[in-house]
Amino acid sequence: MKELLPLLFKNPRIAIFFAFISLAHLSAFADENYIGMVKTYQPVADIFHSGVKTPVDVGVKLYPGDTIITQAEAAVGIIFMDGSVLSLGPETRFEIVDFLFKPAERNVSFVSKVSQGTATFTSGAIGRISPESVKFITPTTTLGLHGTKILIEVK
Amino acid sequence: MKNGRVFFAIFGLMLAGCSGTTVVLVPDASGKVGKVSVKTKAGEQMLSQAGESTTASSVDKAPTPGKVLDDTKIQKMFGVALANEPAPPLHYSINFQAGSAELLPDSKPLLMTVFAAIQARKSCDVSAIGHSDRVGDDRSNKGLSLKRAESVANVLKAIGLGDDCLDVRYYGESDPVIPTADGVAEPRNRRVEIEVR
Repeated sequence: MKELLPLLFKNPRIAIFFAFISLAHLSAFADENYIGMVKTYQPVADIFHSGVKTPVDVGVKLYPGDTIITQAEAAVGIIFMDGSVLSLGPETRFEIVDFLFKPAERNVSFVSKVSQGTATFTSGAIGRISPESVKFITPTTTLGLHGTKILIEVK
Repeated sequence: MKNGRVFFAIFGLMLAGCSGTTVVLVPDASGKVGKVSVKTKAGEQMLSQAGESTTASSVDKAPTPGKVLDDTKIQKMFGVALANEPAPPLHYSINFQAGSAELLPDSKPLLMTVFAAIQARKSCDVSAIGHSDRVGDDRSNKGLSLKRAESVANVLKAIGLGDDCLDVRYYGESDPVIPTADGVAEPRNRRVEIEVR
């Protein structure tokens, strides 16, 4: 690496090449920052990630800001990084508004939105460390969950 | 024109009549019943009993008083979501000696059991979470708890768990099983928790 340093300064193309490699590493790192994973799936449902629609399947990873929309007779089961368990029923619209899980710094938050349909939720480590940090928003209510399992229906 | 307006008014009322949020508090897999507060702009309803429910039809109306729903009604409303719930995550605990991140001899067979459970569940979604007791300062305990989590992670990987399936985390002394005063040695808090999702 030491011999490479002078080269970097002399040749901008090499510098750009290295910049690309480090960018590629950054995005690989981002992929490891998933916050939940699909565990059960009954078709048909889609995930909207940064506005892009991707099909749901078992093993698909989820990120903050993702929205999941299920069709008639569909269901999606998810386990989040803090061990909380979510199951969405048919014709449901669910959004992960905020998910922050840095327990060592006590920096945690789990806010989600159910705009339509049915959901079952069992809280995990975020609810255990900081019960006031687990919140659901629906069109008419705000839910503050102090452990552990709730069912939500939005018509 | 007037008929049209009346129609829309009635249609609007019908929509309002069947809209709203219903929340039901139920026992978790271990039988524990927690609490949930349901808030609108007009009021709040706290649910604390198994099967207790409330409905908020509008943001300007207080949620209805708590009412216990029977299982038939709960199944009718939430049957599909309940039938598709993922199995709850599995948890294991690996203990350590004071100040050490070295695995104890009897931890290795336990890690073999953990690996078998990961395979049986076909999981590629595992965390090793390190903890310490409160002997020593917070900063060094964070380091120690990370080293403990890495010891466990290394063995799981050596047995055959894929690198991309394992996440390593640490809490230091901030998440004890048994809360203690600072400086107290507590063997049960010197641990790595493994969560299999």
